[in-house]
Amino acid sequence: MLTALYTSTGKAIESVGIRQAEGSGMRKHLIVCLIAGGIGGAPAFAHHGTSVTYQTDKTITLTGTVTEFSFSYPHPQLYFDVKDADGNIQHWGSEFAPTPLMMKQMNVGWARDTIKTGDTITITCNPHRVPGSTACLAKELIVNGKKLTVGPGRPPAQGPPAQGKE
Amino acid sequence: MRQRFLLSVILAGVFSPILIAQTAPTEKPAKAKDKSGAFDPHDLSGKWNRVSPFQSYSNVPGGANELQAYLLGQAPAPQKLDVETAEAPFTPEGKAKFDKNIPSYGRRITAPMLGNDPQAMCDPWGVPRMLNGQVAGPHATIEIVQLPDRMFTFSQWHHDYRMVWTDGRPLPKLEDVEPRWNGYSVGKWEGDTFVVNSVGFDDRTWLDHNGYPHTDQMRLEERYRRLDADTLELVMTITDPQYYSKPFRSDTKIWKLDREGGKAWDEQIYCVPSEEFKFNKLIRDGGVGKEQRP
Repeated sequence: MLTALYTSTGKAIESVGIRQAEGSGMRKHLIVCLIAGGIGGAPAFAHHGTSVTYQTDKTITLTGTVTEFSFSYPHPQLYFDVKDADGNIQHWGSEFAPTPLMMKQMNVGWARDTIKTGDTITITCNPHRVPGSTACLAKELIVNGKKLTVGPGRPPAQGPPAQGKE
Repeated sequence: MRQRFLLSVILAGVFSPILIAQTAPTEKPAKAKDKSGAFDPHDLSGKWNRVSPFQSYSNVPGGANELQAYLLGQAPAPQKLDVETAEAPFTPEGKAKFDKNIPSYGRRITAPMLGNDPQAMCDPWGVPRMLNGQVAGPHATIEIVQLPDRMFTFSQWHHDYRMVWTDGRPLPKLEDVEPRWNGYSVGKWEGDTFVVNSVGFDDRTWLDHNGYPHTDQMRLEERYRRLDADTLELVMTITDPQYYSKPFRSDTKIWKLDREGGKAWDEQIYCVPSEEFKFNKLIRDGGVGKEQRP
């Protein structure tokens, strides 16, 4: 019997099959199958409920001005202001799935001081599941014209590292 | 005072080889050898990275996560993980409590805004959850420091530590102690197995990230063995008859000694309320009012 315990709406699908072992009462076998694809191969990484918080099959692109960047654990946080079509300012927040150490091990090539308050950014991210929210999961960033790798599952950054240190 | 104490602990870690030489099991075994080199089976000190698959307290369904190497770009996406699992031996009261605990991990994964994982408020994890090393690599680590009269285990995640007295004092009676986050622990060597017994735990903690509960009457036994120079084994058993109908054994936790990582600077991964609460409000909860949440 294959029971889908959780299926995100994204291309990352986690399903769990449980089969009863012969004559073993409570004992079961667990088969975890993971099929990952799409942008960044984004997995259903159950770190703090990320996969059930964001619509991982959708992306939005926003351009705005950085108000705060916190290179914090467990998730770096980026806050920025976006001007809508009517000229109103919306305050947005975005998290990065990998921790600072994970980003370092993925050789993303940038870190804490790469993003500064006042920088102009274009961010591609998975929108939050709550309608009307102003939060998203960062996938790609362009900061002052320079493209930065964010998400897990991406190959190490090519070329010279962006400005910044761990 | 607290800073002085912490400094002394850190210094003890730096000079642990010297102190370990003074550690006093009454009859120290001869040093064993294996292909990794000489090691003292009564020396558990060092930084250890969990390699066993379960991030849950026990081998419960949905307790594994094989994604960490993939997340680090070190391996392709895992296709299949086939491991034996078993559900906890709940009492009806234990199952009811479990159902009230709403995690953001595992088979009952729920968006944090709708869950009640105590770590979202930066509450301490408690010992069982700390020892699960539940966070994905490179954060699935513990560090052990042995002193002549006690042992410390540090959890880099949440930057917490617990202490085990090894000076021969008895385990306090449950009725004599006030519950604390990390309880009261004493340890002794039984052959090459280091056995730790604990009581007096605060019942607000979960056994793991899947929301398995315990009462403040829980008794915890930990059995550690250094299998070789680079391998540490731990099996935990809790006895908590109000929530579990029989002793509830963990899966066998295996760690590998991180020789290089053990020399790295301390990451100091605190859960900082000012950061976490802002994050919860403006990002994880969508930056919207409660009335807009599902």
